[in-house]
Amino acid sequence: MSVSTARRYARLTTVLCGVSLHRLTAYRMDFLIGAASFVIRIACQIALISVIFQYVPSLGGWTQQQALFLLGFSLLPRGLDRLFTDQLWILAWQLVRTGDFFRYMIRPVNPFYSLLSERFLYPDGFGELATGIAIVVTAAGAMDLDLTLVQWLLFLPLVLCGALIHTFIKAFLASLSFWMTSSLNVMVAVNQLSEFTAYPLNLYHPVLRGLLTWVLPFAFTAYIPARYLLTGDTGLLLWTLPVTALTVLLGYGTFRLGIRRYEMPGS
Amino acid sequence: MIRAARRYAPFALAGLHAVTQYRSTIVLSAITAAAATALQVFLWREVYVGGSAPAGLPFVHLTSYIVLAQILGLLHTNRIDELIAGEVYRGDIAVSLVRPVNYALSCLAVNLPTAAVSAVLAGVPVLAGFSLFASLPVPTAANLALFAVAVLLSVALAFQINFLVGLAAFVTTNTWGIRTIKNALVAFLAGQVIPLALFPADVVTLLRLLPFQGLIDSPLRLLLGGYGDWADAGRILAVQAGWVVLLTGVMSLAWRRSLRKVEVLGG
Repeated sequence: MSVSTARRYARLTTVLCGVSLHRLTAYRMDFLIGAASFVIRIACQIALISVIFQYVPSLGGWTQQQALFLLGFSLLPRGLDRLFTDQLWILAWQLVRTGDFFRYMIRPVNPFYSLLSERFLYPDGFGELATGIAIVVTAAGAMDLDLTLVQWLLFLPLVLCGALIHTFIKAFLASLSFWMTSSLNVMVAVNQLSEFTAYPLNLYHPVLRGLLTWVLPFAFTAYIPARYLLTGDTGLLLWTLPVTALTVLLGYGTFRLGIRRYEMPGS
Repeated sequence: MIRAARRYAPFALAGLHAVTQYRSTIVLSAITAAAATALQVFLWREVYVGGSAPAGLPFVHLTSYIVLAQILGLLHTNRIDELIAGEVYRGDIAVSLVRPVNYALSCLAVNLPTAAVSAVLAGVPVLAGFSLFASLPVPTAANLALFAVAVLLSVALAFQINFLVGLAAFVTTNTWGIRTIKNALVAFLAGQVIPLALFPADVVTLLRLLPFQGLIDSPLRLLLGGYGDWADAGRILAVQAGWVVLLTGVMSLAWRRSLRKVEVLGG
């Protein structure tokens, strides 16, 4: 990608985000309800953690504050991803069936970008991101977490890698709709599995742990980075970059293959 | 009675036809229920392994509670809120209003068989799967009878709550957000996320006065013997029944109010 293309996409993104912000202010009630729905769901998860820690001082080696930190951290890549890629759900659900997908192929930009740009700055992502930041900051403050310089430097890249993993697992599953017409059910099931990452992975059965690390690598979006930030344990951390790269390649590759197969209904 | 049955039978049949068309949805419900159950069982297992089990709740009872709570959840997932919201949004409600049937009862007739069929088809494999891993206790005949009554009341409550939430479509357009909030809150207050018995005592007393506990907590307390004497069991059923009566009144009041707000385009 040349410098001028990069600049063109950067400018487009700014403009399109601006458009989305206008939409937000027009439908303020919708924005509030959407953001509130995530806050309430997360409040339920926090309550679950609090009730569990009434009975035990530590859960599988995690203190309550550490468990909360993990929960909060898991929301950061998820919120960042939702902020920009919510349109993938619509692709999985109906864009192929209705034939509306062609709209993204006739614009003079990359079709993947064109698809995502329809829902930039999706409001529900703000709720998730803000709640995640609040939980991480509160939990880190409560346990006097002291990050090293390297950990500070790696914080944002780790969140970014997590977001990319979320995005391209979704892209892979949504692209299956080019073959299945609708892949919404598969996506809902996988999304349900990704909820497991809000809690310590070492509590689960080894098979499930392996699945969440190497098949659907959600472990790299929360458990592995959060563990590193809390304890300095670099165990699987080094795998983050190759796993992210592979997920991106697989997700985007499937999308390209799907486009090639796509046939538009109509006259 | 027979006339009523004949009048609403076509609605029920139409609902059942829809179920057979969406078989993948049933598979999805089973996966989702199994995943949610597994997540909670893993978390609580760690608490029990730590030796600090909550008093009066052996692990097998907790496991049964969690599994059955998810299956009851399936039985309560009627899509009445979605149905009403959709009809109001598209204006189809006008057609429903001219039919010579009670709107609420026709909603119930469409959704009840569907919910029952998917709860059985998705629930039985999940229950069978978990009983392979843990020897779940067999309930007594008396408890089973009490449970049967409580389940009927819980289905009525679930219908009423969803009907009332569906009426929200008359005042807002973001019914997706409202439904998400409702799903999270109801699951939490009903005891589907955390068994209510595990909350601090004051909170339990409060939650057991609300209508939501009648969905999951009441039936399962009766089934698993989590009550004192017969009078106590009677009280549990009385609270449920009381809410059913009260909500019936609220429903007809809210329905009449909502109808005043209906505006449908068309000639």
